[in-house]
Amino acid sequence: MIGILRYSAGNVGSVQRALTRLSIPSRIVEEAGELKELSGLVVPGAGAAKAAMDCLRDRGLVEPLRTFDKPFLGLCLGMQLLFDRSDEGPTECLGVIKGKVQELPSTMTKPHMGWNRLSTGDYAYFVHNYACEPSDLSIVTMTTAYGSDLCAGVQQANFFGVQWHPEKSGDVGDRYLLSFSKLCK
Amino acid sequence: MQVIPAIDVLDGRVVRLKKGNFKLSKFFGDNPVKLAKSYSSQGATKLHLINLSGAKNGKLEQDFLKIVRSISENKELAVQVGGGIRSIRDIYKMFEAGAKRIILGTIIFTNPDLVRRAQLLFGKDRIIAALDVQYNEIRIKGWQEGAGISLDTALKQANELGIKSVLITDINCDGMEEGPNVALYREVKEKCPMMQITASGGIRGSSDVRALQNAGCTSAVVGKSLLSGQVTLQQLWGAQSDLAIRIIPCLDISGGRTVKGTKFQNLRDAGDPVELARRYCDEGADELVFLDIGATREERDTVFELASRVAEEVNIPFTIGGGIRSAEDARRLLEAGADKVSINSAAVKRPQLLSDIAEQLGSANTVCAIDARRKGKGWIVLVKGGTEETDRDALLWAKEAVERGAGELLVTSFDRDGTGEGFDTEFLACIKKQVNVPIIASGGAGSLQDFVDAASAGKADALLAASVFHFQKFSISDVKLALSDASFPVRR
Repeated sequence: MIGILRYSAGNVGSVQRALTRLSIPSRIVEEAGELKELSGLVVPGAGAAKAAMDCLRDRGLVEPLRTFDKPFLGLCLGMQLLFDRSDEGPTECLGVIKGKVQELPSTMTKPHMGWNRLSTGDYAYFVHNYACEPSDLSIVTMTTAYGSDLCAGVQQANFFGVQWHPEKSGDVGDRYLLSFSKLCK
Repeated sequence: MQVIPAIDVLDGRVVRLKKGNFKLSKFFGDNPVKLAKSYSSQGATKLHLINLSGAKNGKLEQDFLKIVRSISENKELAVQVGGGIRSIRDIYKMFEAGAKRIILGTIIFTNPDLVRRAQLLFGKDRIIAALDVQYNEIRIKGWQEGAGISLDTALKQANELGIKSVLITDINCDGMEEGPNVALYREVKEKCPMMQITASGGIRGSSDVRALQNAGCTSAVVGKSLLSGQVTLQQLWGAQSDLAIRIIPCLDISGGRTVKGTKFQNLRDAGDPVELARRYCDEGADELVFLDIGATREERDTVFELASRVAEEVNIPFTIGGGIRSAEDARRLLEAGADKVSINSAAVKRPQLLSDIAEQLGSANTVCAIDARRKGKGWIVLVKGGTEETDRDALLWAKEAVERGAGELLVTSFDRDGTGEGFDTEFLACIKKQVNVPIIASGGAGSLQDFVDAASAGKADALLAASVFHFQKFSISDVKLALSDASFPVRR
């Protein structure tokens, strides 16, 4: 069973509905103890990094998430939280992936909102003001151009992240969620 | 793709020539340093600075070096300088004054040995070769003389010299604001795939920049169009992205049914909202907006159920507006599956509501809808479905709404709504100037050209329409095709 983490900064509803629509069994989890039984975890995100990290710390979720050993998928803020730290707050994050999260330049319309083309050629739906800057570029799985090339997806071992919203990205998003679900055995 | 603003300097003043003709020069003030500062404050990280006096007479004057020095004091701006550089001593002086890269033209052809020495002394990465072409012949000495060689030969020479980066200007396009010679760049890229190509000459706006990017250019130099105000840097930064213009069908809802009228009057039934939502989603809508215009509390309560039904049916984002009176209403809608909530009259009445919603649910989920009508020289905010005038100025309200945390504005012109006469592009452009969030244009879509105009003249990020889609005057893909033909990125 895939878990969807409910914490302060989640669009849990959209993610859950998307998985249901795709006939992928899932359930909402909130406690560290619940993580052990899962075959995979989706960490959604919308909102501010600092509030999200405060919530994860209060609930004692930081270590259990860092050491999660099944496929882990961070969406938008959920991906940003995997990094060392974020300028949004600022706050220390989970520190699974080396690098930082920085604000988009004020010369661009913000938020970066709407459908942008991924380096894979597909269009995906983005809504964000901050972007990930991994220290190790080899973990970047896709980029998108917005003023400069932004990191749109990462993978490091069992940790996956996308800056866009697969739950809202039409068929492209559906395909992404389906292939993630196949990794969760 | 990088956009680089250009400043040409003649006798200490900012100038633009037409096709390099000194007799057709037009001056734009006498302060290149101030102009460079302004470009930098608008987000430029590179500047293309040309010494036209030097290009013409082959001399590097102290006055010009002073300008380079002053501009280069700004460490955020990397300046590439060209014009009249004829000796190692000149190159040294330019770097010493703060230039990051230098552009060599004439001496590439008249003195290749000197170029080799410069490469050894200063590094290959710091030298750009300028190939200025007119009718396939290279021109030198401020374009006043033909070099007697073709572009092909020049490229071959540049290659042999180990030049990595070329700046190619089609002289016939330069200063004409009639568009760049895209075919020329495509041809060069095919012949020299490893060469970094900077395009220059005639670039008018985002669509030209995109066309050049597709042709294989790595950067584009823009001069005249910025000075004449035809385009702003902000718009050009937008071109460094494939962010699609969003097409948003809007469904007005009352008591659970879709309705549409003219100026909110004479409502006609337009079908089941969920069924319509799915149809639009299949047809390629990028997003959906549902506006609940139901008058009573009972009618409005149906909207929560609607949100969850839509969320189960469609896999694109959607916004719900109408009747949201509290942050609690907004939270319930998001929980029911809406991606964003739109606040209109309630925010005008109590602006704090916007701040509360943005703070609790995030700016990205908070849309402020602004209904307005022209009054005098400006636009005035309307409330209650456009039936009541307020004393608020729409532009000031737009600014306040964003300061309070609205992450997007849905701007409706009531002079145009339901008329099919086209969006109020002037209003849209004025709003866009006030704020840095995405703008959804609404009210007046009647023809395909109206959508193109709202994106180009109105500078809107998203285009909303109802009747033309409900009554199938044209389809969403028709609109996308029209935008794509006008070089706007769309999602297919």
